[in-house]
Amino acid sequence: MTDDTLLISMVVLPFVGAIIAAFLPTMARNAESWLAGTVALAALGCAFLAYPAIAAGGALRAEIPWLASFGLTLAFRMDGFAWLFAMLVSGIGFLVVLYARYYMSPEDPVPRFFSFFLAFMGSMLGIVLSGNLIQLVIFWEMTSIFSFLLIGYWYHNASAREGARISLTVTATGGMALLGGVLLLGHIVGSYDLDEVLSSGNLIRNHPLYLPALILILLGAFTKSAQFPFHFWLPNAMAAPTPVSAYLHSATLVKAGVFLMARLWPVMAGTPEWFWLVGVAGLSSLLIAAYFAIFQQDLKGLLAYSTISHLGLITTLLSLSSPLGAVAAIFHMVNHATFKASLFMAAGIIDHETGTRDMRRLSGLFRFMPITATLAMVASAAMAGVPLLNGFLSKEMFFAEAIETHVPSILDTVTPYVAVIASLFSVTYSVRFIQAVFFGPPPVDLPRTPHEPPFWMRLPVSLLVLSCLVVGAIPGRTIEPFLRLGVTSVLGEATPEFSLAVWHGLNVPLVMSVIALVGGALLSFALKRYLATSRDGPPFFRRVKGQRIFDRLMALVANDGPRFLERYLSTRRLQPQLRLLVAAAILAAFLPLWRQGPGLGGLTFPPVFDPIFTLVWVVGTVCAVIAAYQAKFHRLAALALLGGAGLSVCISFVWLSAPDLALTQLLVEIVTTVLILLGLRWLPKRVEGAMPVPLSLTTRLQRLRDLILAVLAGLGMMLLSYAVMMRPAGQTIGAYFLERAYTEGGGTNVVNVILVDFRGFDTLGEITVLAIVALTVFALLRRFRPAPDSIPPPMQQQIQRKFDVAAPDRDDGATLTDYLYVASVIMQWLFPIVIVLALYLFLRGHDLPGGGFAAGIAMTSAFIMQYMAVGTRWLEDRLRVLPLVWMGFGLLLATATGLGSWLFGYPFLTSHSRYLEIPLIGEVPAATALLFDLGVFSLVLGATVLMLIAIAHQSIRRIGPARAANEAEET
Amino acid sequence: MNGGWTVHLMVAPILLPLVVGAALLFVNERRRRLKAAFGAASSVALLLVAAALLRFADLPAEAGEATTGVYLLGNWPAPFGIVLVVDRLSALMLLLTAVLALPAQVFALGRWHRAAPHFHSLFQFLLMGVNGAFLTGDLFNLFVFFEVMLAASYGLVLHGSGRRRVKAGMHYIVINLVASFFLLIGVALIYGVTGTLNMADLALRIPAVAPEDRMLLEAGAAILGIAFLTKAGMWPLNFWLPTAYAAAAAPVAAMFAILTKVGVYILLRLSLLLFGEGAGAFAGFGADWLTVGGMLTVVFGTLGVLAARSLGRLTGYCVLVSSGTVLAAIGLEDPAVAGGALFYLVSSTLALSALFLLVELLERDLEQPEDEPDQVFADVEEDLEDEEDEVGVPVPATLAVLGLAFVGCTLLLAGMPPLSGFLGKFVMLSAALNPNGLGGGGQVSWQGWLLVPLLIISGLATMIAMMRAGIRRLWAPPEPIVPRVLIREAVPVAVLLAVGVVLTVLADPVMRYMADAAAALHAPTSYVETVLGKERLPGPRSAPSP
Repeated sequence: MTDDTLLISMVVLPFVGAIIAAFLPTMARNAESWLAGTVALAALGCAFLAYPAIAAGGALRAEIPWLASFGLTLAFRMDGFAWLFAMLVSGIGFLVVLYARYYMSPEDPVPRFFSFFLAFMGSMLGIVLSGNLIQLVIFWEMTSIFSFLLIGYWYHNASAREGARISLTVTATGGMALLGGVLLLGHIVGSYDLDEVLSSGNLIRNHPLYLPALILILLGAFTKSAQFPFHFWLPNAMAAPTPVSAYLHSATLVKAGVFLMARLWPVMAGTPEWFWLVGVAGLSSLLIAAYFAIFQQDLKGLLAYSTISHLGLITTLLSLSSPLGAVAAIFHMVNHATFKASLFMAAGIIDHETGTRDMRRLSGLFRFMPITATLAMVASAAMAGVPLLNGFLSKEMFFAEAIETHVPSILDTVTPYVAVIASLFSVTYSVRFIQAVFFGPPPVDLPRTPHEPPFWMRLPVSLLVLSCLVVGAIPGRTIEPFLRLGVTSVLGEATPEFSLAVWHGLNVPLVMSVIALVGGALLSFALKRYLATSRDGPPFFRRVKGQRIFDRLMALVANDGPRFLERYLSTRRLQPQLRLLVAAAILAAFLPLWRQGPGLGGLTFPPVFDPIFTLVWVVGTVCAVIAAYQAKFHRLAALALLGGAGLSVCISFVWLSAPDLALTQLLVEIVTTVLILLGLRWLPKRVEGAMPVPLSLTTRLQRLRDLILAVLAGLGMMLLSYAVMMRPAGQTIGAYFLERAYTEGGGTNVVNVILVDFRGFDTLGEITVLAIVALTVFALLRRFRPAPDSIPPPMQQQIQRKFDVAAPDRDDGATLTDYLYVASVIMQWLFPIVIVLALYLFLRGHDLPGGGFAAGIAMTSAFIMQYMAVGTRWLEDRLRVLPLVWMGFGLLLATATGLGSWLFGYPFLTSHSRYLEIPLIGEVPAATALLFDLGVFSLVLGATVLMLIAIAHQSIRRIGPARAANEAEET
Repeated sequence: MNGGWTVHLMVAPILLPLVVGAALLFVNERRRRLKAAFGAASSVALLLVAAALLRFADLPAEAGEATTGVYLLGNWPAPFGIVLVVDRLSALMLLLTAVLALPAQVFALGRWHRAAPHFHSLFQFLLMGVNGAFLTGDLFNLFVFFEVMLAASYGLVLHGSGRRRVKAGMHYIVINLVASFFLLIGVALIYGVTGTLNMADLALRIPAVAPEDRMLLEAGAAILGIAFLTKAGMWPLNFWLPTAYAAAAAPVAAMFAILTKVGVYILLRLSLLLFGEGAGAFAGFGADWLTVGGMLTVVFGTLGVLAARSLGRLTGYCVLVSSGTVLAAIGLEDPAVAGGALFYLVSSTLALSALFLLVELLERDLEQPEDEPDQVFADVEEDLEDEEDEVGVPVPATLAVLGLAFVGCTLLLAGMPPLSGFLGKFVMLSAALNPNGLGGGGQVSWQGWLLVPLLIISGLATMIAMMRAGIRRLWAPPEPIVPRVLIREAVPVAVLLAVGVVLTVLADPVMRYMADAAAALHAPTSYVETVLGKERLPGPRSAPSP
C-alpha cells in the first residue's frame, strides 16, 4: 500500500464505516460492533504499517486537491507526534468498541451510536493527521458536532440534552475562534500549510497580529481541552454513555486542545504572552479542578474534574516554553489517556453492575468484583502518581520542570507549590475513589446485585491497566522510542536529552512526590467522614457553578438580549415600515443634492405658465389632496376625486399632444374606478371618531411627522420630475424609434410601434403581469368573507324592500328590479356599439391612437355595463364568459407571434409588415405585430373581466350555513 | 450558441414558463396531476436549458469566442431594442433558480398545490419573472420582469389564505408595491439623464454625464438602489420579510429564497457595471453603503435568528443573514471576495430553500390553532375536505431522516465545516484578509477587518439558535412527535441538500467558475463591447410601400 492510500484510508475508513453502520438494522448489536471494531483495527493497522517510514525520521504526506487555488488542500501528514496520537485514537477506539458492545443495552438503537462513534473517530484522526490548518479546523468542528450527537445519545434525559447543548456551544465557539486565529496565521505566514507555518516561527512571533492570533487559537484549545474558565462543559458531558466518556473525555476529544498547543508550540511558544495566557489557564485548571474532584459524589464527575486537572498539568507544562516541559507534556498526554480511559471503563462497569454511580451509596464492592477492583486500584494509583506506574514518571518530570525558573515572575514562583498541592489533591481523590467504592461495609439497597462483568467487557480495562504497569515499570524499553519519535517531530532541532527511568536518585521532585502522596492520603482520611454524606460539589464553591453563569450569560447573549434588540430595532407594523421606506428614498434622493450643492442640473422655470393648463393642474392637485384627506373615512368621495385627478392627467396628455396616452389613460381611469366602486360595497365600514378627542400630544406629533414626510416626498418628487422633463432632450434612443417606426416597424403610430415591436418584449411582460394580478385577485376573492357589517343589503335596498312589502300591490323586490330601468336598457343596447368601438380602436392602432390595450379596456367596459345593467346571473345564463380562456389565448397568441420569427431564423418577436391585397377592400397594411396586438387585446379583456367576475360573484355567493345562523342571531 | 436553433435557448428560460403557465389556464382546476406534470416538465426543461447556458457561458474565452451571449429581441440592435445577456453570473442564477424550482414543485404535490387555484400557473410566472430579471440587459425590461416576479409572488404569498398569511401577505404586497414604484422612478430619472435604458450603453454614457446632471443621476441610482435593497432585505427595510416568508406556504417560501437574491444579483450587476472602476467620477458609488448596510443586516438578522421563537421566523431571519452577508461582501469591491460570496450565495440559498420545506414538515403535526373563528379569509382546510386523503403514515425513521436533514441545513446555513457553507465563508474571509492573494501581502481594508468577525459570529449564532430549536423539536418531546411525511415531500429536501454536498465535493471547479464570474463583473469592458457590438441579422424588414 502506498503512503497516500495508507493515510487517506485511515481517515476515510471510519466515515465509510459510519455510513454503513447507519444502515444496519436497529437491533444488530453484534454486527455493529464487528464493523466498528474492524474499522478501528484497520486504522490501527494503517498506523502500524506507517511506522517504519515514520521511524526512519520522515513524515508521510498525502494530498487531495480540494480548493487548492484558495489555499485549502486536503493534506494528510503523519509525523511522529501525529503517529503517537493516531495510535491512541485508533487503539483506544478499538478497546472502547469492544467495551461498548457489552455496555450498551440491547434496547438501545445502536446504529446511531456506532455511526456517530465511527464518524467521530474519523474526525479525530483527521485532526491528528491534518497538514493544513483550515483542514484541521474543519475536522475540529466535526469532532464538536459528533461529540454533541454522542453526548445527546440518550436525548430523552434532560441532562443529556443539556450536556450536549453546553458542550457544543462551548467547543464550537472555541472552534470559530480557532478559525479566526488560523485565518490570521494564514495572513501572517501567507499559507495555511502546516509545514510552512511551522517554519515561520520568528515571522509569527514578531508580527503585530501575533497576540490576537494567539488569543483566538488558545480560545479554541482551551475550550476543547476544558481549561479554566471553560471547563464546565466537561462535567456536564458526563450524561453521555460511559464508552463515550471513556473515549471522548479522556483519550481523544479533550486531548485535541493540548494536541494543537503542542503542534503549534514551536512557532507560538516562547513569548511572555504565551507564558502568561497558557500558564494561568493551566495552573488554575490544575489546582481548581483537583480540588473540585475531591468533593464529587458521582464517579464520573470525579473523573471528569480529574481530567480537567490533568489537562491543566499538560497545559502548564506547555506554557513553560522549555523543551523538557514539552517532552513531559507529550508523555503525560499518552499516560493520561491510558489510565483515565481504563478508570472511566471501570466506573462504567460499576454503574452497569450496580445501577448507581453515587459514591455515597457504593461501598465494599471488592468482595463482589475483586478483579475489576484490582484493575481500578492500579489505574487510580497511576492517576495519583504512585511509583512504578506511568503517571508517576510524567509527574516527576512535571515537578522537575516546575522548580526550574523559566520566566522570572510570580507565576513561575508559585508553580512548584501549586504543583505539589494539586498532586496532593489528586492523591486524595484517587484514594477516595478506591476507598469509597471498593472498601467498607457491604452496600445496602443497590438497584442491582453487583457481580463481575463479562470477561470481554473487562478485557479493555485489563489491557489498558497492563500498559500503565509496563510503561511505569520499564519505560525505557517500552514507550521511550515512540515518545522520542513524537517529541522529535514536534521539537525538531530543539529536542532535549531526556531519559525515562523510574529512579532518578533522591532529588527535589521525589521529595515533592512523597509530600503529595503522604499528604493526599492523610487528607482523604480526614475528609472521609464529611464526604460520606456531603452534597455534591465542594463546600462554598458548589454554589458558584460555571454552568449556571454560562446559562445566565447565554440567556442574555443568545436569548433575552437579542429579543430585546430585535424588538427595539424592528417593527411588525406596516405603517412604520412604510415610513422608513419613504424616508430612505427621500434620503437617497437628497444626499446627492446635498453633496453637489443645490442646482438640480441647471433647472430653470419659464417666466409664464399657460393659464388654462395651470388651471387644469390646480384642479387636479386639489382633487388629489382632498382625495388623500378623505381616503380614510369617505372612500366614495376620495375615489371620485381621484378620478378628477386622473382626468387632469389625461387632459395634460392631450395638451402635450400625446393622444395615445390620453386615450389609454381615460379608459383605464374609467375601468379601474368602476371596479373599485364595485369593490367598495364589501369593505368594512370605517367609523369616524374612534380616536379620543382631543388627540394626545404624541399622536399629534406623529401625524405632524408623517405630514412633513409626505410633503417632502411629494415636493421632492415634483422637483425631480420637473427637472427631468424640462431638461433639454439630449441624445436619446427615442430619435431612433421616430426614424424607424414606419420604415422598419410598418406603423405610423410610434407609441404603438414601440409597444408592439421595438419594445414588444416589455409589453409581453406587462400583459403577463396583468394576467397574474387577475389570477391573484380571483384567488383571493374566492375565499373572501365580507365583514359582518357589509353582509346585509345596503340601506337603499332595504328601504326599497320595506316599501315593496308595505305596499299591497307590489311584489317583494320589484322596485329593485325596476331600478334605473331606462338606463339599463340603454346600457344593454350599447353592447354591440362598444364592441364596434373596441374593434375600431384595435384595427387602427398601428397607425393612429388606439391599439390592443386600449381596445381590450374598451371591450371590458362593454362587459362591465352588461353586468351592471342586467345582473350577474341573468348575463351569465345567456352569455358564455370565459375570461380564463381569453387570457390563456391572449398570452399564447402573443408568444406564438413572437415565436413565429424562429421559423425564419430570426430572434424572438422579430416583426414583419407588408401590404396585403384583400378583395373588395384593396391594399391593406398588415404587420405581424397586429397578431401580437390581438393577443394583448384578448388578454386585457380576459384579465379585467376575470377581476370583474371575482367582485360580481361576491353578491351572489351563498354564505355558509353556520355563518348565516350566526348573522341571524346577531341581528 | 452563435448559430442554429441553439441561439434561441437564451430566451427559453422566459418563454417556457410563460407558455406553460398560460397553457395551464386552459386546464380545469380539478386536473391537478396534469397541471403538476406540465409544471414539473417545464422545470426539468428549464434545468437543462440553464445547464446548457452555463456550459456556454463557461467556454474559455481564448477560442476567440466571447463568453457573453447576447440575444437581440425583435432583431433590434442594442441599445435601441431589448437585449438578453447571458454571462457566467446570469447563467449561474438561472441554474440556481431551476434547481430550486423542481423540488419546490414536487413538494407542493403533497398537499399545497390543492390549497388554492392556479398554483402551477403562478409558479411558472414567478419563474418567468425571476429568469427574466437575471437575463435582461435593459433597465426598463428589468422593471417589467421585476413586476412579473412580484405580481406572481403576491399571488403565491397569499396561496392557501388564512388570517396570518393574508395579513403578512398584505404587508408584503404594500411594501413591494412602494418599492417597485421607486424602481420606476429611478429608471425614469436615469433615462432622463442619460437617454438610454440599455445597461451596457449606460455603462458607456455614465462617465460622460455632465457635472450639473450628476445630482439627478445619483438621485436616480440611489432611489433605484433603495428599491433593490428593499427586495434584497437590507436593514432597516426588511421587517416584512421574516413574517411574510414564515407565513407563506412551504413550497412558496422555498422558492422565495431566490427572490432576495434577485435583488442582490441586480445590485451586484449594476453597481459593478455602472459604477465600477471605469465610471469616472461615479466609481465606487454606493459601495460603502452596501458594505455597511449589508453588515447591519447581518447583525440584525443574527439578532433575529437568536430571538426567533418559531422555526419559520428563524428561517426568515436566516434569509436576511444570507443576503446581508453577500451585500457586505459585494461592497468590498474585491473580485476574490465576490467569488466567495457567490459560492456562499448558492449554497445558502439551497439550504434556505431546504429549510423552509423541512420546517413545514417538522411543524405540521404540532400546529396550534391560531385562526379565530371569525376569520376574514377562510383557511386551506375548507377546500381540502373533499380531496382524496393522501397523508403518510408516521414512520419512526422519518424523524431520523428529518433530523439528519436539519443538521445538514444547520451546517450549510451556519457555515460550519465541512459543507459548502463553510467553504464559501472561508474563501470570502481568506480573500478579505489577503487582498493580493494568499501570501501576497497587502493592506487589509477596514471593511475586511469588520467582515471577518461578523461572519464568524453570525455563523456561530445561527448554529446556536438552530441547535436550540432542533433540540426543542427533535429531542425534547417525551414522546417523539413523528410527522406524517410523504416520500415526495422528503425527497425534495434531500435533493436540495445533496446539491449542497455536491458543491462541497466539487468545490474547486465550482469556485473557479465563481471566481471567473466575479472577475468578469469587475472588468465589464468585454460585457459592454459584446452587447453593443452584437449585430442584428440582415433583415427581411422591407420598408412597406406607402
